[in-house]
Amino acid sequence: MSDFIERPRTACALAGALSVIANLPDVIPIIHTSLGCGGNLANSIAFGSGYLGSGYCSGSAAPSTGITETEIVFGGTDRLDEQIRNTLELIEGKLYVVTTGCMTEMIGDDVAGIVSEYRADDKPICAVSTPSFKGDSYRGYECVLDGIINHYLPVNEDKDPKLVNIFGLVPGYDPFFRGDLEEIERLLTALGLKVNTFFTPGQTFENIRSASSASLNIVLSRVWGREFAERFEERHGTPYWITDLPIGPEATDEFLKEVAGRFKLDVGGLIEEENHRFYGYFERCADAFCDQDLKHYVVTVTNSTYAIPLARFVTRELGWIVTDSFVTDKLTEEQRAALDNECPLQFLTGVQEIASALNKNHPNSRGQKYFDDLSPLYIIGSTLEKRTAAARGARHLSVSFPVYDRLITDRGYAGYRGGLHLFEDLVGQIMSVKS
Amino acid sequence: MSYYKQSAPPVRDSRLRIGDSYAGKACDLVNCGREGCLLQQGRGFWQAGSCQMALSLMMATTVENAVIVMHAPSGCGALLHSLSAQTAKGRARRGKASVPVPWLTTNLTEADVIGGGERKLRETIEYADRVFRPEIIFVVVTCAPSIIGDDVEEVVRQTRSSVMADVVSLHCPGFRSRVVASAYDAFYHSLLRGLDLSPKPWKDFRPNTLEDTQALLADKKYQFQKSRTVNVWNATSIGPEDEEEVKRLLSALGLNVRFFAEYSSRDELRQISEAALNVSMCNVHDDYMLKYLEEKFGTPYVIAGMPIGLRHTRKWLKEIAKHFALEREADNLADYEEEAVREAIKPFLEQVRDKRVLICGGVVRVGAEATMLSELGLKVISIRAYHYDEGAEPIYEEVGDILPDTPVAVSNQIFEMTHQIKTLKPDLVISHNGTQGYVAKLGVPSVQLFDVDYAFFGYTGLYKILRRIVFELKNTSYRERLSKNVRLPYKQSYFEGSAFKYIKKNKGELL
Repeated sequence: MSDFIERPRTACALAGALSVIANLPDVIPIIHTSLGCGGNLANSIAFGSGYLGSGYCSGSAAPSTGITETEIVFGGTDRLDEQIRNTLELIEGKLYVVTTGCMTEMIGDDVAGIVSEYRADDKPICAVSTPSFKGDSYRGYECVLDGIINHYLPVNEDKDPKLVNIFGLVPGYDPFFRGDLEEIERLLTALGLKVNTFFTPGQTFENIRSASSASLNIVLSRVWGREFAERFEERHGTPYWITDLPIGPEATDEFLKEVAGRFKLDVGGLIEEENHRFYGYFERCADAFCDQDLKHYVVTVTNSTYAIPLARFVTRELGWIVTDSFVTDKLTEEQRAALDNECPLQFLTGVQEIASALNKNHPNSRGQKYFDDLSPLYIIGSTLEKRTAAARGARHLSVSFPVYDRLITDRGYAGYRGGLHLFEDLVGQIMSVKS
Repeated sequence: MSYYKQSAPPVRDSRLRIGDSYAGKACDLVNCGREGCLLQQGRGFWQAGSCQMALSLMMATTVENAVIVMHAPSGCGALLHSLSAQTAKGRARRGKASVPVPWLTTNLTEADVIGGGERKLRETIEYADRVFRPEIIFVVVTCAPSIIGDDVEEVVRQTRSSVMADVVSLHCPGFRSRVVASAYDAFYHSLLRGLDLSPKPWKDFRPNTLEDTQALLADKKYQFQKSRTVNVWNATSIGPEDEEEVKRLLSALGLNVRFFAEYSSRDELRQISEAALNVSMCNVHDDYMLKYLEEKFGTPYVIAGMPIGLRHTRKWLKEIAKHFALEREADNLADYEEEAVREAIKPFLEQVRDKRVLICGGVVRVGAEATMLSELGLKVISIRAYHYDEGAEPIYEEVGDILPDTPVAVSNQIFEMTHQIKTLKPDLVISHNGTQGYVAKLGVPSVQLFDVDYAFFGYTGLYKILRRIVFELKNTSYRERLSKNVRLPYKQSYFEGSAFKYIKKNKGELL
């Protein structure tokens, strides 16, 4: 069977690239495609990821060549040249990134050639090839980071012994990327490190510039960012550490100990303080949590980055029972192998495929008097799972792209504070039906 | 060959005199369009926007029991998640089952771009048919397969006989035109080529074989009903409250009203031919379809602007009434309605008098609303139309008469809008959905030009438009505070020159 996809939970490489650029401080995209690509792809993130919205110069403000039939026939490099020239004149930015789409790659426009002329003229500009048929949004994330950090930034041998970069969370496609990054930053700063998160409001272009002098790249995904981090090490000599996004106290304790060990820092009272605070809140909820019988079976439907940390949190911290973890991003065999997990993962994307698999794995009662069914059930997935959950009488919380049924600002699920937030959201959904 | 016989529809650029880059006075626009100078213009700087595929999808998703198959790389369908949610809501508000829209993408990869994606398309259509059991499968043909020359029509032809659903190709590659309005033609082309638009014997009716009296009477009754039935063509920006208002008014004239083609099922679409008149609600939406229906079924049509504001609504009603010799009734109805609504809007008018307004969005609607607001005592300081084509001539002749010196721009560009708002400092912006956030960040009060959740048409619409303006002006603190904390990406020097400095006259020199 061919690899068509039902309701993909990602878009094309260009979409991922644009989402990255839209969340990098003072980086301006120049989209070499028809006008629709930039607007449509940006909208899918602006509205589909907890209403992330458009930033400084993204969405309908993003410069685009807007090529038409004429350029498809005669080539689009003249239009690109003119668009770059006028973008530099009109738009204030510290770095301009030319991205491509399927049509301009197919007609073979020499984008790198045009851009190199501007580079020769000392303009802060680079080109990244991001045709849609090259891969999905996750791939686009890696392409554009690779273009900026491993190609545009000069090779840097000088390292700041306290500086770390955080990668692996993909803006938009990891809907809680900002809150998660801020919590990681908060904790690592408390350890005495300096942290480049790149995508949170507190960051500036200086953080991008200093990326190459980091002493460690922490990749919070077993799949996304790996290849990029390898090439980063080749170019700038910074080693990388691939780990799971820590959610909740147990995972975060481990995470902090590991980082402290790598930097020979004293983790000291930090873990104790954070646990004290976490349990100060968590303990109070035990009455409601236990008196109201909130123990659940859990099915997760998320991308590969969230699948394992999420299952671990609900299993270890809440004592819930995870029966199925569906991983919705399209992965190679090698990438799947990197995701070894106690609970076997199922690699499916289509809403219908997942609903069918769930019904097959856990049939509903056919009216038997005694039947051990999968209930009470909580489906933690995307908004697309809302109807699957309703059909099974399950609770539902959206945490994975696309998220249309909630607004996300600085909320995150990483770390200690994130663990509390996730707990609060999971239980809050259950309580919200009360009147 | 007639456009209707081609597998792919023409884009507006080849069918009509059209433009998307213009800045001038209202009174000069129509001539510029007629003489072709508009056609020649472009820009030296563009910002991303929409394409005909996006708007085509907005309409196709509303069709009942349909599945969308994107013949595309994985990104093109990205906005279907939000369109699906929007459609589910639109269905609920029309009393239909609130179900999401299943969609798939053929997910064209590098290998497919080289080797062709036809096999994949066939497999995707077959899977969609088997799993979702739809009545209609829209095969959406995007840029990539159009450039590599996939023979989509052949795949559609073959699968039509092997699957249960009606397989319909919808050709809407974005690169063919910068003008998004081409989507209306693309969508209607897909319907008129791919579906039955007239009732079928033994399916929709029992053929009258016995010429008995009863059958003849039944037939006469049917013909009478048909002679009083009008099809009103909705699309994208026209919501359920607008439909209700239009239905209320036309029903008051004794007409039987049905809406097409959004939110219709395959069975309902087969009733399209069974009407005495097709009625447009916007000059640039549906002339392509209405001309086809006249050619095919002999059904006359009325394209008489948008029923926005008192004068336009009366004119619109009268044009329809004329067909049924009900002009006097239409006048009486309009008199009655106007008297009531004039009284109702009085308190609002005092609050909005002399407000300086900038209006941006769809070409016909902004023209209609600009003249309406100026007649109600507001000051229209500039009009921004997303595109211009000859269908909009009637309303711009009117705009040219009523507001001759008002600056009109044909522009959907955010940077030009930003410049105009910053330099003209309007009291209120009325603008297209998708731009509201940008306007808010400039600190200026604004309301939606349209919003499918509210009424804009007829008398109810007029009341609600004014009510919403007054509501917006009651508290503008949010945007004032927001704007103080937002940095714009444009260099200061831009605001010191012309907003339209990047518009090129005659493909080369800048304005």
